[in-house]
Amino acid sequence: METLVPVELYRKMGVIVGTQICTKYMKRFVYKIIQEGFYILDVAKIDERLRLAGKFLSTFEPEKIAVVSVRVYGQKPAYMMCKYVGCKAILGRVIPGTFTNPRLEYYLEPDVVLVTDPRTDRQAVIEASKAGIPVVAFADTDNKVELIDLVIPANNRGRKSLALLYWILTREILRNKNILAPKQDLDVGPEAFMVQKTVESES
Amino acid sequence: MAKGSLVARRIDIYDNVKPPLCTSCGKPLNPSSKAVSFYCPNCGVFLIWRCEKCRTQGSTYKCPNCGFEGP
Repeated sequence: METLVPVELYRKMGVIVGTQICTKYMKRFVYKIIQEGFYILDVAKIDERLRLAGKFLSTFEPEKIAVVSVRVYGQKPAYMMCKYVGCKAILGRVIPGTFTNPRLEYYLEPDVVLVTDPRTDRQAVIEASKAGIPVVAFADTDNKVELIDLVIPANNRGRKSLALLYWILTREILRNKNILAPKQDLDVGPEAFMVQKTVESES
Repeated sequence: MAKGSLVARRIDIYDNVKPPLCTSCGKPLNPSSKAVSFYCPNCGVFLIWRCEKCRTQGSTYKCPNCGFEGP
């Protein structure tokens, strides 16, 4: 079966590179361990889960999807996804009560939550659990899957990796909603979803 | 909608109402529990219920319709 993007692109963007730690549940998505001790994820499983997540998220109203990213490298991809799909982005710190306290100004009542990292976005995951909202998450090999309803195994640390993952997911949602044709791409590439390096960090 | 139809759809105390069951462990779900329901991500037909305990433990669920195993 043809993958959503070429396998080389997955490798180039570092989507398949895991960490040196692997939790029990995430072992099923691991392809091999390289000499340095890094776990490498299975491309076919990443691709399959991205398809599933795209299909699953497209069943919800766009404004009822909340995309959460505390991680800096995930903020621009999440923002761009929300720009194209029309969902709500929660970038930076998740203020307690966002999903649970209706008295707050910034209270949201989403039908599904997409988180970049279950560990850094823990506040959003816990609140979604209290409110009975299903959670979709990008999970690396060292992530636990507690309170998660759909795992997308991938490298959720990398700048390029997160850009590509959100780009693919955006494209899949729009294709499933028939906004894009089945073989049509977005008008921008994954580079537009990427956080640009600052001059200081390059030197 | 006619008023009569609304009355007919009300649940009577003598009706047998089955609580939803957790797809992972099969236990009935209390209405006050923090359970989550969503349609199967693969087939979108079967409504999957997950109880709080199974979600916390990360227990797997399996769709009886298509065989998809999650999370």
